[in-house]
Amino acid sequence: MWLDSFLAWLANTHFSTVMRESTWAEPIVESIHVLTLTLFLGFAVLLDLRLIGVCLVRKRASEVLAQFNPWLFGGFAVMVVTGTLLFSGDPVSFYHTHPPFFKIKMMLLVVAGLNVLIFNLGIGRQVAQWDTRPTTPPAAKAAGIVSIVLWVLIVAAGRAIAYVLPPP
Amino acid sequence: MWLKALLLSFCRWCNSSFFGHGIRDSVWLFPFVEIFHLIGLGVLGGTLLVLNLRLLGLGFRGESASDLEKDVRPWMVGSLALMLGSGFLLFSTEAVKMYGNWAFRWKMIFLASAIVYTFTLYRKVVRSEEGRIATLWRVVVAILSVLLWTGVGLGGRAIAYVTTSASSISISAR
Repeated sequence: MWLDSFLAWLANTHFSTVMRESTWAEPIVESIHVLTLTLFLGFAVLLDLRLIGVCLVRKRASEVLAQFNPWLFGGFAVMVVTGTLLFSGDPVSFYHTHPPFFKIKMMLLVVAGLNVLIFNLGIGRQVAQWDTRPTTPPAAKAAGIVSIVLWVLIVAAGRAIAYVLPPP
Repeated sequence: MWLKALLLSFCRWCNSSFFGHGIRDSVWLFPFVEIFHLIGLGVLGGTLLVLNLRLLGLGFRGESASDLEKDVRPWMVGSLALMLGSGFLLFSTEAVKMYGNWAFRWKMIFLASAIVYTFTLYRKVVRSEEGRIATLWRVVVAILSVLLWTGVGLGGRAIAYVTTSASSISISAR
């Protein structure tokens, strides 16, 4: 299959070898990946809590969204880059773990993306109507709760990968 | 020294306690507790970053730092409690090993400093009225907060990479 040959090709690149065999590459990239959780996961949860209506309620929802968004995009970019680097160190093992925690994590990430999309096309567009209310509409609460549940599951799946990868 | 002996006997007690034992003997309990530790890391770090970015003038300028602090305080304190609780459980599974782990010692020193700092000087500056404390001091206070908590985080990551020879300490607990 083309995917398997791509993973095999990636594993054979010089870059992948450096990630795999360097003493410092993996710990440094892994530390950045984990500590950026404070920026990305932390801000995502705070935003979700505003959507649920239990945190930062004195601020307008639109203002909270606008202020968090650039940091969330930046944080997500760091997570994706460092995550891709970690993956590229041992792509074949990552892709074929049993249980398939890597695949589960990727699917959950897609679902989290869909949740953001649905929010932005739906209740997020009408934010002007509920902007200043401390109690948020059910659709916004639902988006916040779904988001928190998904990110907790994504963290769980990510942690689980480390337990099913073959030792280096 | 009596303090060292006390710490070591505390570590031994943790190792052999029902939770230390239970988590160590279970295949999935350790990663399960780790997930809570990571969620706590995200939320605690997130709330602190909001306040620090505000102090640095890099974001969240619609509200004063003291109002922001009121908003995020329950989540900050709650996630700190979650981190301490889950962290203690993780520690208890290999407490005697941690006693000899230099990364763990560094983490605890940074942690104690960060907690004391956050609930004394830091809190005072965050809660002070805008303009009463010079911008320069607010920036210094924010940077120190980031440095201390980053030290805790890096120490935590380093624990996993530091292998200690348990043979240097006689383990009678197990």
